[in-house]
Amino acid sequence: MRSRHSLVLAAGLAVLVLSFLASLAFGAVALPIKEVARALAGGDVSGQVHEIAVGLRLPRTASAAAVGAALAVAGVLLQGALANPLASPDVIGVTGGAGFGATLILLAFPDQAPLVPLGALIFGLVAAGIVLTLGSAGPRGGSIERVVLAGIAIAALFGAATTSLMVAYPDRVSSAIGFLAGGLVSDGWSSLETSGPYLAAGFVGAVLLARPLDRLSLGDDLAASLGTSPRRTRLLAGIAAAALAAAAASIAGLLGFLGLIVPHLVRLAAGTATHRFLIPACAIVGAAVLLLGDTLARTVVAPIELPVGPLMVVLGVPWFLWLLRKTA
Amino acid sequence: MTAAHLLKAEGVRVEIAGLEIVEHADLELTAGRILAIVGPNGAGKSTLARALVGLQGAAGGSIAWAGKPLGKWRRRELARTRAFVPQRAPVSAGLTTRDAVAMGRAPHLGALQRPTAKDAAIVERAIARSGVEHLAERSLATLSGGELQRVRLAVALAQETPAIVLDEPTASLDLGAAAEMGRLLHDLAAEGLAVLVVVHDLALAAAIADEVVIVDRGRTVAHGEPADVLTSERLLETWGAAATLDIRRGATVFEVDWLASGARPEGAASTEGGLA
Repeated sequence: MRSRHSLVLAAGLAVLVLSFLASLAFGAVALPIKEVARALAGGDVSGQVHEIAVGLRLPRTASAAAVGAALAVAGVLLQGALANPLASPDVIGVTGGAGFGATLILLAFPDQAPLVPLGALIFGLVAAGIVLTLGSAGPRGGSIERVVLAGIAIAALFGAATTSLMVAYPDRVSSAIGFLAGGLVSDGWSSLETSGPYLAAGFVGAVLLARPLDRLSLGDDLAASLGTSPRRTRLLAGIAAAALAAAAASIAGLLGFLGLIVPHLVRLAAGTATHRFLIPACAIVGAAVLLLGDTLARTVVAPIELPVGPLMVVLGVPWFLWLLRKTA
Repeated sequence: MTAAHLLKAEGVRVEIAGLEIVEHADLELTAGRILAIVGPNGAGKSTLARALVGLQGAAGGSIAWAGKPLGKWRRRELARTRAFVPQRAPVSAGLTTRDAVAMGRAPHLGALQRPTAKDAAIVERAIARSGVEHLAERSLATLSGGELQRVRLAVALAQETPAIVLDEPTASLDLGAAAEMGRLLHDLAAEGLAVLVVVHDLALAAAIADEVVIVDRGRTVAHGEPADVLTSERLLETWGAAATLDIRRGATVFEVDWLASGARPEGAASTEGGLA
């Protein structure tokens, strides 16, 4: 059992390292992987290799890894906290809020486009804040149904607001499509810098929540018997997931599918649901999957870039269904 | 220490959604003894037990563990003093029995502290004690109701608390498994643990408990040794059943007139429960 866990972790790490290097090496100009590795290590390479790999591609590669890890960890936090395998950042309203925030700036204030990541981050957090507040208030507060129902309502509200914006500014809709489809852009370190603190807080929170979430999977009564507050654990997991998912959306738009599917992949592959294992494993696999997806999106029909969100869904669904059938 | 009450509850009142489920409950739990809470369906037994361990807020009265009011305990500290074994709990497919029992050590470990060899030994002992060694590597999703009940008890034993509170631990067990559970609780009490058990089965309660508290319509109406409390008059008054309990320590004969009072004396049936 334990060796199967180690195997999944080792395989995930190997794929992550390879996809990281591949992401730096492949693109409109292909670079030798050895050279890229040497450039990363600070070795002596030609100025052009260094410029492309480290100056141009590294911010995007690092962003892809961070976003992939953040979405997968947000998914596993929510699936554990809500005891629901269908949970993803969508259910606490983050995706709907971030989509609205970005669309608002792109359509209503197009000259403020650099504020898109900030708008997505703020509205993602606001939406999740409303959902978690509504979900935890009142005598039945903190129950799973309350949070999920509040999430559905708030997601619908922000979805309707986004659609209304599109109806109001039909001629500018095309500028928002990239964000809504989800995808990484090569814009240097700025969006990663804005979102960095939220990502860091979310990852630290996830590590601290691993054991309380494990206890929660024994049921609220046993968790409480063991000294864990189910309500507080759920709320904190929701906050950590919101920070991760909103930060991810501010960098790469709406890539919600990753947060749903990676935790399932890891659980199916490793045969365990303990969060002590799932959280680090999902971070690794999530980063690797998005790096691979982004590299593919940039290279299959280069120099045209495919939107990575839909591409990953199209490639990921058949694979996921196959795995589901094989293990069922 | 044995004379001191580990748990003392006075005038406990519990409301759920504006409805008074427990009106007035008094009880005391002492180390080395088994206290059984019995009563008809819907009397408020489980709600009372949940309030006693701090899983359900009380609207009135006082509950104190080791002399300290429930509200003053920190969660982890309380989890080192009492363990609760719920009647039901959701089952997580991705956890093995050992994963689950290992979580019983949580109140003794810091947030990021790794379990030591001593913790691992305690977990193995709890697994052995509950008789689930052969299920240690099995996924919880593959276990029967009775097996899960024993796993939940093992989690509580791994907590190493001086008191353990169980809600209907024999509800989904067959006769043999129920007797085994009764024997285990009896042994745990003999080792000095304070055991509070909410139980439906009066024959079992009478056989293993040192004291019985009867809860009827949210009130504790009788308290004492099984033979003094579970009288025919009481059984008729509280359960509306014509029955006699012949109580000897460890073995009980429960004679129930299943078909109304005296109409058909030949319809009487008897069941035996307790420790073999």
